[in-house]
Amino acid sequence: MKPTSKFGVLILVAPAVFIYAFAVLLPFVGTIALSFARWNGFGTPEFAGFDNYIRAFHDTVFVSSFGHMLFYIATTLVVEVAMGLLLAGVISSGRFMGYPRVALFIPVMLPMVVIAVLWGAVFNPDFGAMNAFLSAIGREDWRQVWLGNPATALPAISLVSGWIFAGFYMAIFNAAFARLPQDVIESARLDGANERTLFWRIKVPMIRQVSSVAMLLCITGGIQGFDLFYVMTNGGPYNSTEVPTTYMVKAVFRDMEIGFGSSLSVILTIVGLVIAIFFRKWRSTRQEDVEY
Amino acid sequence: MNRKPTFSTLVVWFYATLNLLPMLWMFMSSLKTNAEIAKSPLGLPTTFDFSVFAEAWEMGGLGTYAINSAIVTFTATTITLTVSSMAGFALSKLNFRGRGVVMGIFTLGLLLPIQAYFIAQNELFELVYLKDTRWALIVPYTAMGIPLAVWLLKSYIDSLPKEIFESARVDGASDLAVYRLLMVPIIRPALVTVGIFSVLSSWNEFLLALLYVQDDALKTIPTGLLAFSSKYVTDYQMLFAALSMVTLPMIVLYVVFNRQIVTGLTQGSVKG
Repeated sequence: MKPTSKFGVLILVAPAVFIYAFAVLLPFVGTIALSFARWNGFGTPEFAGFDNYIRAFHDTVFVSSFGHMLFYIATTLVVEVAMGLLLAGVISSGRFMGYPRVALFIPVMLPMVVIAVLWGAVFNPDFGAMNAFLSAIGREDWRQVWLGNPATALPAISLVSGWIFAGFYMAIFNAAFARLPQDVIESARLDGANERTLFWRIKVPMIRQVSSVAMLLCITGGIQGFDLFYVMTNGGPYNSTEVPTTYMVKAVFRDMEIGFGSSLSVILTIVGLVIAIFFRKWRSTRQEDVEY
Repeated sequence: MNRKPTFSTLVVWFYATLNLLPMLWMFMSSLKTNAEIAKSPLGLPTTFDFSVFAEAWEMGGLGTYAINSAIVTFTATTITLTVSSMAGFALSKLNFRGRGVVMGIFTLGLLLPIQAYFIAQNELFELVYLKDTRWALIVPYTAMGIPLAVWLLKSYIDSLPKEIFESARVDGASDLAVYRLLMVPIIRPALVTVGIFSVLSSWNEFLLALLYVQDDALKTIPTGLLAFSSKYVTDYQMLFAALSMVTLPMIVLYVVFNRQIVTGLTQGSVKG
């Protein structure tokens, strides 16, 4: 439709654009600009060219933080997405599923900080439920300082992430299964397919597009993950759980290296955008073989 | 269809129960004294003394944090829904110059993570004296919510037949009148979905709350709870009481509105 007046359009569109431009777009451009500066937050920023970027690629903690991020993403793809898919498979085909469907989604809506503090207590070496449980089943020797041991801290955090988000992906897959045409499934059943065959041969291939969205969400979520890491270990022990986001926050707010921190931010954003674009391409080239 | 619970049904029931155990443990521990917690972490509570909850709420400051969260969340969500439904309506039904550009910048916003802009945002908020005020959270929560809200509301309005609007137009209504009198009632279901997503993201947001608000009297629940947990680092019972008080009301709300909340959170995250 043609607008009745230009002024009317302005009133409708301007507030959203203004707030968003002020608090997101402008700071986004500002962060890119700061990534080329040397600045401690006071005085005038100095132009630094690509120095911050060169330093970032030589910073062993930053480079290894990408390794931790990759470990976290790989683990969460299994304990969140694959787990969610399996749970949805059972939930969508059986009865009496109201309870697990509701119960498994609870952690998704709770504040991550609350969950992180709770699981920090579960993993506490003195009064934590984990060690108490191991003692109760007679495995004193398996007791650990879970979050204080470089070998167990990162897996522990990944596990907590799975505890939160398996239910989230379950809900996504469950909704996708519910949209599948019933006639296909019924005719497969008539042909003698059991639930297992039905799941792997019919249902999972038919929701491939949803699966790729779920994987992308899990990967981008992993790149941005901060809350659990900050609260449970803050990168420690010995940088063994340092991820790019926690390191970036330290660079800016502890070391006052605002230019350097900004370059880390830009690198991380580019990595995220490249993966997102790659996934979109990959999805659209495969679109024709998925039909609803 | 299956009529009997199968083996996998039982496994999933067991798994769901296992998942609830940490929360059950938390609630149980909030009723145990520190000595009991230290002596047998998995033991059942022996007394039911709820006074520790009142103490956490008042002396621990949980009440203040909850009020701050409520103010920030309510304001941010109201502004997000208002400005996004206005923009979504204009972008969906009106042809105006610059529409493509506006759509473009909002689409960019769907892709940008918080890490892409919070460093300069911090400097900007410092510059305009927003830091350590409630607006330091309301403004970014609103701004971050806008691209998604516009996108979801626009797609909802796209699916409405344009005859409804054209007939109102014939009756002489201006665009603003159409928005106010016709649009808002029709898109209520979409507003609920977007609103739930917006409420939960504001209520749970941590990074910006951590960086922009140092004043304890203005902290929201996530940062407040963190301050609480370092203040009462040896008082386990208080910590568990605080955790229970934050989670239990949310769980009750979730069980009541579970369908809307699941839809709101999944749609909000998947965004097409």
